[in-house]
Amino acid sequence: MGQFIAGLLLLLALMIPPVATLMESVMIIHMHMQMPMLIIAGFFMGRFFLDRFPQFFKKYNQNGLPGILLFTIIMVYWMLPRTMDEALTVQTVEAFKFISLPFLAGVPLRDSWKKLNKVGRNNLITLFAVMFIGFGWLYIQSNAQLCNNYLVIDQIILGWGFITMAICLVIYLAYSLLVDPSQYE
Amino acid sequence: MQTALKTTSIKQKTNQALGVNLEDARISKSYLAVAFIAVLLGGLLGLVQGLNRAGVLTLPAWANYYQVLTAHGLLLVVVFSAFFTIGYFYAGLSHTLGGLLPKVRKIAWVGFWTKIVGFVLVVIPVLMNEASVMYTFYPPMAAHPMFYFGLVLIVLGVWALSVGAFMQVAHWRKNHKGQHLPIMAFFATGVFILLVGATAFVAVEVLFLIIPWVLGWTDGINVMLSRTLFWAFGHTAVNIWYLTAVSAWYVVIPKIIGGHRWSDLLTRMVVIPLVIMNITGGFHHQIVDPAISEGIKYMHVFMSLAIGFPSLMTAYALFRVFERTARQKGGTGFIGWFKKMPWGDVRFLSPFIAMVAFIPAGAGGIVQSTNQLDQVVHNTMWIVGHFHLTLGMSVVMTFFGISYWLIPYLSKRVLTPNMNKVGVVQTIIWTVGMVIMAISMHIAGLFGSPRRTSFTTYGDFAEQLGWNPLMAAVGIGATLLLIAVILQVYAVFNMMFFAPKGETEFPIAEEEPGAAKTPYWTERWGVWVVLMLLVISMAYVIPIVDMIVNAPPGSPPFKTW
Repeated sequence: MGQFIAGLLLLLALMIPPVATLMESVMIIHMHMQMPMLIIAGFFMGRFFLDRFPQFFKKYNQNGLPGILLFTIIMVYWMLPRTMDEALTVQTVEAFKFISLPFLAGVPLRDSWKKLNKVGRNNLITLFAVMFIGFGWLYIQSNAQLCNNYLVIDQIILGWGFITMAICLVIYLAYSLLVDPSQYE
Repeated sequence: MQTALKTTSIKQKTNQALGVNLEDARISKSYLAVAFIAVLLGGLLGLVQGLNRAGVLTLPAWANYYQVLTAHGLLLVVVFSAFFTIGYFYAGLSHTLGGLLPKVRKIAWVGFWTKIVGFVLVVIPVLMNEASVMYTFYPPMAAHPMFYFGLVLIVLGVWALSVGAFMQVAHWRKNHKGQHLPIMAFFATGVFILLVGATAFVAVEVLFLIIPWVLGWTDGINVMLSRTLFWAFGHTAVNIWYLTAVSAWYVVIPKIIGGHRWSDLLTRMVVIPLVIMNITGGFHHQIVDPAISEGIKYMHVFMSLAIGFPSLMTAYALFRVFERTARQKGGTGFIGWFKKMPWGDVRFLSPFIAMVAFIPAGAGGIVQSTNQLDQVVHNTMWIVGHFHLTLGMSVVMTFFGISYWLIPYLSKRVLTPNMNKVGVVQTIIWTVGMVIMAISMHIAGLFGSPRRTSFTTYGDFAEQLGWNPLMAAVGIGATLLLIAVILQVYAVFNMMFFAPKGETEFPIAEEEPGAAKTPYWTERWGVWVVLMLLVISMAYVIPIVDMIVNAPPGSPPFKTW
């Protein structure tokens, strides 16, 4: 219950209008800080749902793949310039963001992550590393303004944010490939 | 595997029975000798500055104030702190991980000489007054190219030593599967990771921005980018010395007072967040810099305060250890137990005063990371007072306290009661000197006295003349500090070469009996490093991309002195 309350408090804090407005005022903070924090809030709250409805997760997310698929779809959806723009201009899309990221990405990620084996986890990280490089390239090279609400410089910063994240993911993958934990643990 | 395990455990037992490995001791002693020679020279130059600012000493024509200031900063911030940290942690790695591997020893020597050669290259232009750029070497002030080549060699030396430390740790872990890294080696791992992370930024600054610029290959330099890269390094460097001091507080002090270490998990959870969140703290040194938007600076206040949190945990943990140990020794009362602490033991007294100094020092740090308050004190003597409290007291007094057992341990000698007395006297003189100096600096700063400025009466302008009594107090403090430095350096070399022979213990406190087992995830260094990189990339991508894409025309080099 403690984790659920922590997650809920984080979600509520992120929903407070001045906090949301501040975070959404900078493109990269909107996508790379507010959105991951919403997922983290859902990840924490997930404990409660997993305890409350174990049968549901057992039935629909037996091997973790459906949950990861849902997580990936939600993630990709919110990485598109258009969806971010709409979150700022259309109230219902904004509401969908605050619901979808915690509950349709954070909660399934929590259930699925522990069900995946090492290969599954690393495949997911590889997928995201490749996607981040792709999105990074998109945002950096585009001369046109992709969002009505953000300037071109914001786009370029976001693009480099994607690239640096991808570099971190690649470093992690290299670490998990090169270092064999059984030698140490 | 079994054989390897056996060999190492035999090695460890031998280590404990016979004391230090002489070859490893030579490495640490060399580092410490250089460190304390730097203290002597740096302290002397500090006195010259203090007396100049007090208005009682006019510098001779062949020396200028900024040259002295540069040398003082480099000797104490770069040489003393780095050489001490490396000497201390290499001794700790050797002691807790069963002796250094032969290849690690070689690396340590290569690193030592690389750093020394680098340092000589840095010193020559400083002596020639060709590099009076102060230890921050902010462009567009440009020094002689040799100064920067020297810095590159110093960084290469640091990297070599870090690689050596990582090899030593990896070797131990392979032979001790599933065991937790001994706590001293855990601190060392954190410190060497931060050293690599921090120096990577300054290496980029020097190699890709400054050297092509001073050699005339590029026309101008991106000043803001250089400052940002510098502070990613500068801030972390300061925190590395602090983390080194903290390692002694957690691991060594409980043993010296006859107590136990409290909560291994908490100790490790102080190291891990400090490693993950440290580098980004560089931004709070740039609160009044242009080119970083207010919103970003505001968000970085959280990062800075987040680094403060482990310090609060440390304060709690240590005072708990003190109280518990003192009560076990019969101490009573609400604060009466304080009397049971070993006040006459310099190995405790000096680090204890260091810890107490961190209370006002940390509070001052919070003032400076708060935008509105920083507007008042930025670039004033307040800042100088602040880092003389943090480095000059919290860090340096801990280092001094360490020297009174580490050096006898390394040289197979003992700390005599007389030398202990010298240490206590030295500690008191240093404390009085630093308190007078740091408080005067803080007050002078509040009244507006600028830092990094040679003595002037501003045309006898009345308000500025009001600073003079405070600056005279700085001179008095600096004089006391030099006396303490002389005593300290005398003690160090006496303990290294002349003290009576004997065995001294490397004091490492045991955990409290019945302590909970520390979870194994604390050992996942690969994950902590990736998290550190993620935090760094999130923190730096906005201002750095902005500074590069929206860069003004670069600045040509200036020689302002």
